[in-house]
Amino acid sequence: MIQLNNLSFGYSSKKLLYKDLNLNIQDGSIYGLLGKNGAGKSTLLKNMVGTLFPVEGSLLVNGMVPKSRKPSFLQTIYYIAEDVYVPALTIKQYQNLFAPFYPMFDGNSFYKYLNELEVSIDGKLNKLSFGQQKKFVIAFALACNTRVLLMDEPTNGLDIPSKAQFRKLIASVMNDDRIIIISTHQIRDLENMIDNIIIVDDGTLLLHASVADIAEKLCFKTVSEIPPGARVLYSEKMLRGTAVVMENAGEEDSALNLEQLFNGVTENPAMAKQIFSTN
Amino acid sequence: MNDTFSISRFGLLLRKTVLERAMQIIGAMVAILAFTLILYSLFLYALDWGPAQNLSFIWGFVGGGVVLSTVVFSYFTTNAGGAAYLTLPASALEKWLCGVLICGLLFCAIFLSFFRLMDYTFVTAYHNRLDRNSPLYRALYDHVYLYMFEDNNVVVKATILYTSFVGAMMVGTLYFNRVALVKTALVVCGMLATIYFLNLGIVSLLFHNVDVAFPYFTVLLKVDSEVGNIELPHYAYGIANNFLQYVLPGILWLTAYIRLREKEI
Repeated sequence: MIQLNNLSFGYSSKKLLYKDLNLNIQDGSIYGLLGKNGAGKSTLLKNMVGTLFPVEGSLLVNGMVPKSRKPSFLQTIYYIAEDVYVPALTIKQYQNLFAPFYPMFDGNSFYKYLNELEVSIDGKLNKLSFGQQKKFVIAFALACNTRVLLMDEPTNGLDIPSKAQFRKLIASVMNDDRIIIISTHQIRDLENMIDNIIIVDDGTLLLHASVADIAEKLCFKTVSEIPPGARVLYSEKMLRGTAVVMENAGEEDSALNLEQLFNGVTENPAMAKQIFSTN
Repeated sequence: MNDTFSISRFGLLLRKTVLERAMQIIGAMVAILAFTLILYSLFLYALDWGPAQNLSFIWGFVGGGVVLSTVVFSYFTTNAGGAAYLTLPASALEKWLCGVLICGLLFCAIFLSFFRLMDYTFVTAYHNRLDRNSPLYRALYDHVYLYMFEDNNVVVKATILYTSFVGAMMVGTLYFNRVALVKTALVVCGMLATIYFLNLGIVSLLFHNVDVAFPYFTVLLKVDSEVGNIELPHYAYGIANNFLQYVLPGILWLTAYIRLREKEI
């Protein structure tokens, strides 16, 4: 469980990016952390892994303080940064040098993931393409079997088949003790994969809800005319009518459209807050 | 689990640190040793044995230590590299000790062994080339001996420079993520210049006819052609010497540890 209590963070003490942020992230869920460029997604992940320190408030990851970066904590968390760092080593050499630091590392799974992501296992890692390097890091991170996995824009640089494979892999490694947080601004990459959504903008938490909760409270559809009196969170003119995200008054079932949800929440945060009444 | 220090984890970390960037570390080491050999040869050709031994030792030891110390913590040039290093499951103490071991103990052991071997080869070759029947044989033989590491004031001064500059460079690489060598060198030069001129200013307020005022050690007064030396009282000299020899390097090396613990990226 990840608990943020009145967390404030800023790159300058005069200008805070996050102020009094409260958030509880439960085990056994895949979270999508969504936000525009510069919204503070990476900053939040870095606070969770302990490479940035909160100015005020507390942050606990499974009861441990990330800031102290104790080995017992770092063994339970893996952070994949947006850019990739791989040394001039072969995959075997990398495994020999880095895997012993992670007691739950599974070598067989590692090669299985590499195979599924179609990562070339010959040659040195630094000679691979950016996409291949990224897939290698994802495979290694998954094989470490850490309780918390934080990924910052993991699908950047991945081709279309790899994105699909990535989604399958993430679903396959999920269990009740694990937390996976995926930060992205490429919202469509997360569709049908996440079960909780966090939307941040300008350091503010705009939405924290489960997909089930969203489906219960919002309705996504295309209409020829917006129904009078409907609380419309977002609307967009389309070729065959108007796509709307509105309050689900009649318990209607509809398919979640992450892009429209994101646009609605960031453009109309007050209404989103009213509808969800969370945080 | 011991979160401060574990010998097995430290072993893994040391192995990882050296093998992960073997080419960088070994390459830097080879370049330093080659540079020392070239300096020794050039100074020997252009000057004499004394300057060749002293200058190549000072430049190789101090310069080499500084260059190697920029490599050991040079993970922060990219966000991913820095994050991977900071989040590797090892304690800050282990990571710091790893850096200290590489640019402190390992470098010193390799450099001093190499210097002794190089010096021995040159000096032995020189001695063997001498004509034993020459009346100048003894004088020429005694002109040069193996470079002494003990009871040698140059070695003591070079060690002070080495420990201070390497400490400053370790701190610098943890403060400046990019071009740390240049930025740290500029900061150190700026600080030295400030201390020098501050010292000169204070001395000029107290004395007239100041010729040279070098912080801690030398103040020379010149009246016409006469030069006088102001010496620190013995106890003050001892304090200044201990500060430069032990306290300053100690502060810098410990600052590197604290900085590593507090490092954010």
